[in-house]
Amino acid sequence: MSRESAARTFAVAAAVFLAAAGALSGLALLAGASPLDAVRALAEGAAGSNAALGETLARATALVLTAVGACLAFRAGVLNIGLEGQFLAGAVAAAAAGPLLAGSPLAARIGLLAAAALAGALWVLPAAYLEARRGVPEVLSTILLNLVAAAAVSGLVRGALRDPGGDYPQSRALPDAVRLAPLAAGSRVTAAILVALAFALLVALLLASTPFGLRLRATGLAPAAARAIGLPHARLRLLAFAASGALAGLAGGLEVLAVTGRLYDPFAPGTGYTGIAAALLGGSSPLPAASSAILFAALGAGSSAMQRDTGVPGALATVVPGVLVLAVLAARARLARKAA
Amino acid sequence: MPQHDLLIGAASVADNLAYLDPAAPFFESAASRRARVGRLALAFGLELGDANARVDTLPVGTRQRIEIAGALSGDPDVLILDEPTAVLSPDETAALFASLRKRADAGAAVVLITHRLAEVFAGADRLTLLARGRSVKTCRTSETTPQEIGGLLLASAEGADGGNHPSKHAAQSASDGGTASLALTGFAPNVASAVQAETIFFSLSPGELLVLLAIDGNGADTIARAIAGLERFSGRVAVGGVMLPPSGDPLAFRAAGGAFVPADRREEGLVAALSLSENLALPNPPGRVFLDRAAMRARAEERLSAFGVRHASPAALAGTLSGGNQQKAVLARELAHPPGVLVAVHPTRGLDLASAAAVRSRILDACRSGTAALVVTADPDEAQLFGAPLRVVYRGRLTGALEPATPAATLGRLMAGLEG
Repeated sequence: MSRESAARTFAVAAAVFLAAAGALSGLALLAGASPLDAVRALAEGAAGSNAALGETLARATALVLTAVGACLAFRAGVLNIGLEGQFLAGAVAAAAAGPLLAGSPLAARIGLLAAAALAGALWVLPAAYLEARRGVPEVLSTILLNLVAAAAVSGLVRGALRDPGGDYPQSRALPDAVRLAPLAAGSRVTAAILVALAFALLVALLLASTPFGLRLRATGLAPAAARAIGLPHARLRLLAFAASGALAGLAGGLEVLAVTGRLYDPFAPGTGYTGIAAALLGGSSPLPAASSAILFAALGAGSSAMQRDTGVPGALATVVPGVLVLAVLAARARLARKAA
Repeated sequence: MPQHDLLIGAASVADNLAYLDPAAPFFESAASRRARVGRLALAFGLELGDANARVDTLPVGTRQRIEIAGALSGDPDVLILDEPTAVLSPDETAALFASLRKRADAGAAVVLITHRLAEVFAGADRLTLLARGRSVKTCRTSETTPQEIGGLLLASAEGADGGNHPSKHAAQSASDGGTASLALTGFAPNVASAVQAETIFFSLSPGELLVLLAIDGNGADTIARAIAGLERFSGRVAVGGVMLPPSGDPLAFRAAGGAFVPADRREEGLVAALSLSENLALPNPPGRVFLDRAAMRARAEERLSAFGVRHASPAALAGTLSGGNQQKAVLARELAHPPGVLVAVHPTRGLDLASAAAVRSRILDACRSGTAALVVTADPDEAQLFGAPLRVVYRGRLTGALEPATPAATLGRLMAGLEG
């Protein structure tokens, strides 16, 4: 590691730490509690016990996948802000396919996740088509597709997918045999987190060490050069876009399979947007982005405990990821200016 | 005034010049901003085009002229110009030097960075010769001669390999018989621009070199870009006997054996944020599942040294290289295997004498091994140095083939549309 990048890493880490500590202390004071007590409660809620750790990792599963999906799109120069909608598309596919799948639980799980990934990939197609043929910026079309997906979930759980035997607007539950069991008793974490981390590793390898990844990065960094050199620019973008949607769809499928067992409304709101924040915090690199996703999940799990133990409203802790991303972006911009 | 303009692409010519004018009032009417364009064009003898045109629709040459007008507009006390004349016609260059002389006589300091010796001796009071970051000589221009400075320049530049090879094209006689490497039939670029190109017919045989000479904005760049698949065109283009789709497809051009050296090496030639070895590997990365980093590095080492690219390591980012070395790196990639057809736009623009000579000799080497090359340039001296037939493009119209020995003055008149 060169001196410059070591300095950069250190500065970014310091910015993350200071911003997180500052934001948390300030929020605790605002709520009339001692910052130290609040931080202790948050840390214990995030990682203080097996159950707490399990909660963090269960929450992290979908976030890691949407974060990695965001990295893949951003590195190819595709501003996919629609991970939220692609995540919901995957969850809908999983909830719809789940009760229909027969055979062994393993085959049913694989079928369900494949359907979820496919649904996520298909959900990018309108945006990809509009961008390629009509020049509509994908930032706009994907944000709008998020709203369509949220409305569709709301309609489906009250209509076609509604559990006829239940009182609430929600889909039928997956059979217990199909649902993933916790890895340890008294914990919510399942093997799904391992699937998510495996995909993070896979995408990191794909980007850094394959011919396809090299060309993808070139397309993202310098679209005009990629075109002039004769790279299949449009095809690379479309592949990255669809793969990013597939990862978000897979996240939706795993959320149903491992955490909720069914679809309801609203379904895990913000998973796609928080994944984008984690990707930004991780500089669009899959492994740092996955780590950021786990950090955000820990903040989420810890803030529930903090509210319970100290009375600091847990919603205040959602400020922290925002502060973190802003602090890191500011630190990076400052370093980039110095280097230039 | 930087070598690459820093204008705001989405704004009009009038607005850009208003931003650049330190004396512009806080509130200024659109009419007054438009009037400034005409005033500056007249004052400095520069062709600035339509005041309402968006700057990013204009050719590089016009943008450079806007930047020059902007730099001069505030009557600065210190004026630094980096290669300002690379895209100017001889008349515009003369007008620019007259303006600079006026500023200097009024007490301003003017620093001119250029690789053209003639300009130094035409306009400057003093010169400093730099080679590889070192100051070789500083003196008054009246105390030395262009011959002496030119000699020093070539002597201090390492890697200029034994001067230019005058190109006798062995393959030129092959024009009848074998299939043409590049054939244009009723061809015209199909882009919305002020200059509408006329239909073009010509063909190049293997090993043949043709130079298109034109002031920027006359359509020569567009012809080259359309052949390379970067613009739409009408008519027919065949590379190595394969018809290219008129919708413009760089992949089809490459697949037929084409190579392209773009005018803008920073935007289109290289990916600045990737390493040199990654840049060279882009067209055909080694390795099946995973990249073969060792092979990439070895191949890059070999090509970079073969093309005389001065670099710290193949892992250095392409964006950290000087312009000349970036251009040689582009050629190292494009000419890795002698292509059937090479299209090169302003391949030596902004390069020092030694780098320009190296780039020319690489292109001539490729021609000797069978590449048909089309080179676009705006510099008559440059065009003659290739020693190949040339055609002048004026407002989208090509002259007949001219001898390389055609006097520069004649070429200049053809380029300005004063003759032919």
